[in-house]
Amino acid sequence: MSSAYSSTLTLAAGAVLICAVVVLWVTSTRSMLIVVATQGTALGCVAMTLGVHVGDAGLIATAAVELAVKGLAIPVLIDRAAGGALDRERRPLVNVPASLVASAALIVLAFTAARGVATFVGATSGALVPVGVATLLVGFLVLVSRRRPIFQMVGLLLVDNGIALVAFLCTAGVPFLIEVGVSLDVLLAVVVLMVLAQRLRSEFGDLDLDELRELHD
Amino acid sequence: MTADLLIAAALVGLLAAAAGAVAPERLRAEVVSVLTVVASGCGLAVALGVLRSGRAAVVHTGRLLPLGGLSLRLDRFGALFVAVSAVVAISAMIFRLGYESHALSSRTASCVLPLFVTALILVPAAASVTTFLFVWELMAITSLLLVLVDHRRRSEVAAAAQWYAVMTQFGAAALLVALVLLATHADSQSFIAIAARSAGVPAWVRSTAFALAVVGFGSKAGMVPLHVWLPRAHPEAPGPVSALMSAAMVNLGIYGIIRVGDGLLGGGPAWWWLLLMGLGALSALFGALHAATSTDLKRLLAYSTTDNMGLVLLGIGASGLFASTGHPSLALVALVAALLHVVFHAVFKGSLFLSAGSIQQASGTRDLDRLGGLLQRMPVTGSLFLVGSAAIAALPPLCGFVSEWLLLQALLHGLPSSDLALAIALPVGVAVLALTGGLTALTFVKAAGIGLLGQPRRAQAVETREVRRSMWAGAGILATLCLVFGVAPFLILPAVLDAARTVTASHVLDPLVRGWHVGLAGAPGALAPGLLGLGLLASVVLTAGIRRALQRAAVRRTEAWGCGRELQTARMQYTATSFGEPLTRVFEDVLSPAHDLDVSHVAESRYYVEAATFHTSLEDAFERHGYRHAASALGWWGRLARRVPNGSVHRYLAFGLVALVVVLVVLG
Repeated sequence: MSSAYSSTLTLAAGAVLICAVVVLWVTSTRSMLIVVATQGTALGCVAMTLGVHVGDAGLIATAAVELAVKGLAIPVLIDRAAGGALDRERRPLVNVPASLVASAALIVLAFTAARGVATFVGATSGALVPVGVATLLVGFLVLVSRRRPIFQMVGLLLVDNGIALVAFLCTAGVPFLIEVGVSLDVLLAVVVLMVLAQRLRSEFGDLDLDELRELHD
Repeated sequence: MTADLLIAAALVGLLAAAAGAVAPERLRAEVVSVLTVVASGCGLAVALGVLRSGRAAVVHTGRLLPLGGLSLRLDRFGALFVAVSAVVAISAMIFRLGYESHALSSRTASCVLPLFVTALILVPAAASVTTFLFVWELMAITSLLLVLVDHRRRSEVAAAAQWYAVMTQFGAAALLVALVLLATHADSQSFIAIAARSAGVPAWVRSTAFALAVVGFGSKAGMVPLHVWLPRAHPEAPGPVSALMSAAMVNLGIYGIIRVGDGLLGGGPAWWWLLLMGLGALSALFGALHAATSTDLKRLLAYSTTDNMGLVLLGIGASGLFASTGHPSLALVALVAALLHVVFHAVFKGSLFLSAGSIQQASGTRDLDRLGGLLQRMPVTGSLFLVGSAAIAALPPLCGFVSEWLLLQALLHGLPSSDLALAIALPVGVAVLALTGGLTALTFVKAAGIGLLGQPRRAQAVETREVRRSMWAGAGILATLCLVFGVAPFLILPAVLDAARTVTASHVLDPLVRGWHVGLAGAPGALAPGLLGLGLLASVVLTAGIRRALQRAAVRRTEAWGCGRELQTARMQYTATSFGEPLTRVFEDVLSPAHDLDVSHVAESRYYVEAATFHTSLEDAFERHGYRHAASALGWWGRLARRVPNGSVHRYLAFGLVALVVVLVVLG
């Protein structure tokens, strides 16, 4: 029983991190959205596993909300924002091989830095805390290194997923209201960014975010 | 009882500020002045009560300020400074009643002026780090606003205020670090706890805190090389404000250095005090030299403030040096001399600045080269200015003489010393004191002689009239105190001695002979200012009598110093520039004067000169060699830093990632 719990948890958490790295690897919007949906589902599975293991109805409900919002709603919304266009990240600020190497370095850093937290929390869930930190750092790397607005949204989503993962693992049950609130915040941010991206496209044609630097003073 | 009065002083000050904000323009000056006089009166009453009884006035509330609330504790040492500030404020506010300044009557200025006075009274009472920094900043910001009052009419005002703003914020930053450093190591922010635990603090922390305190408080006291704001801001402020700044605010810089050096840290190694003596000597000489060559009346007074604060720092440094080399009795004498000079400087400089304000208002200029003959036209203000000049030039029987004499005595009696530091520092100190005294005398011979005597140097000056009664009354209070303290120093010496004992926690028995004569116990030499005054009076009476007796003979009346000429025009007189010219020549390397001679010839022949104009200007050496370079380096750094945020979203996000990674690396 216990070993099934720990292997499910490890599998799901690992999937969250792997999805984050894959986002760095892919360049087409469509395949990236599939990865993001997978990651949201994996995060929901982590919460669900924890909820079933602890037997907490609130946590199970949270997991359901996670699955619905991050596994389904947000990827669909981002897909809409893309407008069905099959556009690609043609020239990222840091190219794919370099960003994969950088992500490896960030993951090593996350594991060394979060060691203290891991031993503090203990047990299976504690050992997985560095995975959440690593996801967060990789998400940040996506934010920094990709030009397209869609990828920026996804980067933000990865950061949030990383934080959510750490929160689930550390506290074994974030209060339902808080988790729902955070998920809805992210949903709102995605909607705002989506509107912004559409306005950008209608205003400037097909521009990279990097070329918007006139307003800084 | 005293604590209640302290609260009353603060509340009446706030009430005056509120009244200044709401009162109709017609009544504003009167309401604000009267209420501020009441607030200062309460402050004076607390200070005198504390000085008399020795029991500190304590006010503590857990609220009103973040991090531990408002905490006031006025001991004898602080009370001395409160008393000085209150007396100067009362005089300045009486002066304010008659002072015609549209800008100073504005709503903002009327609201800020009482706040400034309240802050001046509360700074020496602050007893915790947060309270101190709060009232200190209140004082800095209100004084900055008051300097800015006239900025619409004259463009120099804004530049002066900018200098002041930069220097005061720089000083405040240094103070913040110094006090927080001490508070962290003492594990409490109350001054009493810091003083009790500072002996266990590591030496480098103590030294850093002291050095930063000297920088922070020194910039407020006009210490060279942090003095640059003072000769700009003090002259540009309106009359009563410049008196408050030069006679009360600079004192608080001195207060801070003594409070931190002797009070919180309880003394330190010899090099601290040698450093302080060096800075003091530099300030005294540099200030005196610039004052002697200035031609702007208020700028001259401002430089002379730097000079006098330099002498005070010299005294404090000597006191610390004596204490660290095992001469507690001399240490106390030197500290008393320094504090006495602070008090007396406030009295005569306040009177001089108020008189200068009157002169500026009556004649419309403060350029000495365009004044002249004011003693005939403004007899009362002129006489008050003369009294102040005589006091600052240390002429007996006025107060400046007593404090400088005592300082000289303290330095001289330390002389036969086996300690190397003392053996070198003291003779240098004596020489600086002597040279400064000479330069100060020259300065005020110039200020009084050129400005008050002779003939008016321009047409408007002929019509100058005496100012309103309340204006000369304000200056008159302080000028009277010059005379009273000069003749009877025993009225104030015990209070100063108690103040010095309180802050140093010294148990030395009375090191001074006090009474109608003053002197060091067990040392030759004593001074009887009263007798001296009496002798002076007798000699004046005698001279007048002899003169009258001789006048019976036939007398031919002609211009004095006219070489027998019948016609004496204003242009034949010395000007302030020409009077200071020999000195400018001697100290050319320090003063670096810039001359500009422009001669135009008659068209027919080059042998005939049609007109010649001559301009000369002196630059502050520290400003030219130090501050300009510092400012351009800062500008370069700023331009470089502006290139970093270039507007790219990715770059800003990268800052976030890098910061996060650094934090993880450091903490992980």
